[in-house]
Amino acid sequence: MEEEKEAVMVTPGEVLGRTSDVKAGRGAYAALHNDTVYASLTGFRRTLPPAPDSSDQYIICNLQRPTIEVTGHKAHGPVPQPGSVVIARVTKVMARTASADIMCVGSKSVREKFSGIISIYDSYFDDRQQDVRATEIDKVEMHLCFHPGDIVRAHVLSLGDARAYFLSTAKNELGVVSAESIAVCASMLYILCLGATMVPVSWTEMQCPLTGQIEQRKVAKAAS
Amino acid sequence: MEYVSPEGLRLDGRRPMEMRQIRAEIGAVSKADGSAIFEMGNTKVIAAVYGPREVQNRSQQISSHALVRCEYSMANFSAGDRMRKPKGDRRSTEISLVIRQTMEACILTHLLPRSQIDIYVQVLQADGGTRSACINAATLALADAGIPMRDLVTSCSAGYLNSTPLLDLNYGEDSAGGPDVTLGILPKLDKVTLLQMDSKLPIDLLENVMQLAIEGCKAIANYIREILLENTNQLEYRRGV
Repeated sequence: MEEEKEAVMVTPGEVLGRTSDVKAGRGAYAALHNDTVYASLTGFRRTLPPAPDSSDQYIICNLQRPTIEVTGHKAHGPVPQPGSVVIARVTKVMARTASADIMCVGSKSVREKFSGIISIYDSYFDDRQQDVRATEIDKVEMHLCFHPGDIVRAHVLSLGDARAYFLSTAKNELGVVSAESIAVCASMLYILCLGATMVPVSWTEMQCPLTGQIEQRKVAKAAS
Repeated sequence: MEYVSPEGLRLDGRRPMEMRQIRAEIGAVSKADGSAIFEMGNTKVIAAVYGPREVQNRSQQISSHALVRCEYSMANFSAGDRMRKPKGDRRSTEISLVIRQTMEACILTHLLPRSQIDIYVQVLQADGGTRSACINAATLALADAGIPMRDLVTSCSAGYLNSTPLLDLNYGEDSAGGPDVTLGILPKLDKVTLLQMDSKLPIDLLENVMQLAIEGCKAIANYIREILLENTNQLEYRRGV
């Protein structure tokens, strides 16, 4: 089947084909009781040629089935999935964990709030290093890796528990990408964190450009 | 009382198998993910759909499929002075449940685990058949929100008065106390998702009345489909494709 020149609009429940001829892609579903593929969204029908390396279990006469999909006009916000790289803002740092609000998934910003948790073992060591430095695990402290307000790049380990996604920064290119220093305005009655954006100086340190003070962070290696 | 005149016309001048004028509009609530207004004659309802979004109450989260919630309400001005004596919230709760169950049957909830879909329907003007109108409005709003569905659910009512099957009862016919069958179907799949009846009806007549309601549902489905396609066309046009 060739790519259709003219886009056909469909509504939910419309028959798109037989399961023996086509596969149901996004916006479509296959009903097993009568072997029919139906649309599940309102939008345009598109026929995608079969992937050359797909292992189709219903191959009949060596003919691979094209995938049929329906693209709707509503774009849903991105949702973090295991394996995706996210940008998150640290909200709370505890002894062994840090909480963060996920702001971007890949390059797309999220529409609603997703919270994540970075555990100390997931923050500092990747598996290899963890083995090497197993005796020094206790030396690492969460507040030497992150501070509230830091922007981190993290990897989604799993969907986590009911509360939060489990995140990891245990890779060179993961960790704090932007942080503000705790430069203090002394003239005020209250201690006020003015905060200047710090410059990374090593993979564990960042420096304040105003005061020259060095702070500890788990710094992400900048993408070259 | 005479509900069908000897000439074969009903109180509002319709034929027994005639439906009221239907009108639908998509995108009535811009803040919602999907919304619609649906009118059946003088009955007018508005529906707004939010979601799929994160479950607000964690204890209600279902890890295998989406949680569907529905809230039905009637505007205070909807029935005018004809408002029956306030019956508390029983009727609204029941209709909320009915709409929720009907919509749940058509939403592909297993595709949206751990999320929640909120459907709000409000009756702006009540003239019989609010249940059907609410379901039709909710279907349109869900389709507008881009939530995957098995099929469009549509609903229509039918009754039996003066030994005549009547399609799409209005308030006057509804309060006659005769049998009132509300039917919800998946028109393309030919499945019934909702069947309710007030009062009694001989079993051999039920078949006829139901068939009439099915015809009504299918007519509504065709109209809803037209509206959806027109809306998609509009959006594409505005996008300049």
